[in-house]
Amino acid sequence: MSNKPQLTRSKLPISGRIVMFFIRHIQHAMGSMGELWRNPVSSLMTMAVLGVSLSLPAALQVLVKNAETITQSWNSAAEISLFIDEGRSERTIQSLITRIKVYPEVSDVNYINRDQALDEFQRLSGFGEALSYLDTNPLPAVVTVTPSLKYSSPVGARELLKKLEMEPEVSFGRLDIEWLERLQAVVRLLERTVLAIAALLVLAVVLVIGNTIRLAIMNRRTEIEVMKLVGATEAFIQRPFLYTGIWYGIIGGVLAWIIINLLVWYLDSALAELLGLYGSQLEMQSLTLVELGQLVGLASFLGWLGSYLSVRQHLRAIEPS
Amino acid sequence: MIRFEQVSKVYPGGQKALSDVNFHLKRGEMAFLTGHSGAGKSTLLKLITVIERANAGRVLINGHDIANLSRSDVPFLRRDIGMIFQSHHLLMEKSVFDNVALPLVIEGFSHGEIKKRVLAALDMVGLYGKERHNPIMLSGGEQQRVGIARAIVNKPPLLLADEPTGNLDPKLSMDILRLFETFNDSGTTVLIATHDLGLIARMKYRTLTLKHGHVLGGEELTSSADGVKG
Repeated sequence: MSNKPQLTRSKLPISGRIVMFFIRHIQHAMGSMGELWRNPVSSLMTMAVLGVSLSLPAALQVLVKNAETITQSWNSAAEISLFIDEGRSERTIQSLITRIKVYPEVSDVNYINRDQALDEFQRLSGFGEALSYLDTNPLPAVVTVTPSLKYSSPVGARELLKKLEMEPEVSFGRLDIEWLERLQAVVRLLERTVLAIAALLVLAVVLVIGNTIRLAIMNRRTEIEVMKLVGATEAFIQRPFLYTGIWYGIIGGVLAWIIINLLVWYLDSALAELLGLYGSQLEMQSLTLVELGQLVGLASFLGWLGSYLSVRQHLRAIEPS
Repeated sequence: MIRFEQVSKVYPGGQKALSDVNFHLKRGEMAFLTGHSGAGKSTLLKLITVIERANAGRVLINGHDIANLSRSDVPFLRRDIGMIFQSHHLLMEKSVFDNVALPLVIEGFSHGEIKKRVLAALDMVGLYGKERHNPIMLSGGEQQRVGIARAIVNKPPLLLADEPTGNLDPKLSMDILRLFETFNDSGTTVLIATHDLGLIARMKYRTLTLKHGHVLGGEELTSSADGVKG
């Protein structure tokens, strides 16, 4: 590098070069926007394809987000029931409850004494009559423990159960979390599916933009040849194409956001009905403004990437002859 | 300005375009390059503008050895060379102004400076007032002059013309050659490739003749071929 004569890179002073650098960037950005505006039909088609492609992973993201909210609100269902040894006095049980209450893993403790348990059984089971034939109350007292948020996961709750079972008054404990584990497995599967589909669609976006830019380059072949002949650098020639890609990404991202909001709006009432049946007060969540920003940011990056890959490959191939 | 030292060019496929070409065009000189089609005129111009590279020998342009130029240096070398083509290479959907302004836009001049220089260049080639036209609305001679304005607008030290009078009548051809003379008078090195022998005969300039890939008339090259590699 050092032993060859240096070519004059620019005839302008450094300050002028810096100012012109920004002016050129703005001009190219605006120019490529204008270029899209002049061919509204083909530009809109491409943008619509991008919008739809991006809206799918975004929609799945909304789905996962809502599923997570729902499972979180159901986490309190991971309740531990402790059955107390028969013959324990009310006082020992109360002291047990006080001890459990100070566990850091526990958020709430409920006590159902034997009479209450019997009442509840008679009310809910439908075998109330049968019980009246028994001399004594066969049901044990039950202490229900709600783990704190940190211990409400299946693993944490199981740990807590083991600890609680060490208490001398406890005959045995039960943790009904199998369904929760299944639900979480389903959510995990869903998340993975979303990730895989998102990756594929992101690839599709890059390819669509790459191909669109390729066509744009082919259309301006003569112009590119002339520019190369009069001394344009590759950076200068590729810049408008890169900005075109970024514009495609931004507008595609905004379109995807609009599609998502329409979708959520369309599904909202149906979902409210479903959740109402489960007695839930949950509301369907859409994408927040931050997520809109992330979506558009990601989309514009993909636009840049797609056009960059295309430009790398195709601009070099065009040489004046 | 342009120095060829034992330059050979063979195209892939074995077609031998230039062999052992030696000549030296001094700074501020004006010369014709002639020879019938297929003699290697275009190849020689392509070597100067680094569209093609030589297989052997040395090509020095404005003091730069072409062999040492990286891909990213080429645009900057080309900015020092004003090129005029027989087929104009104009952008037909852009205005005359935009066509002429292109080299300045690429170099990053400010808008005011571009306007000043483009109008001056158009004035020089006699197209002042036509800057808003599209090249398609102009005659062949006018289009050629738009191409010339574009080549000189950034005041390059070297001007290359490939058949600039190719399809113009003798009167227009003469006008264009006079134009080249004015640029040469102001210090620009000019090399004109043409097969219009009548035109050359009327002007008293050095002529390089290409024949079967060899240059005749390049003898002004002083025997400084010491540093030449084989």
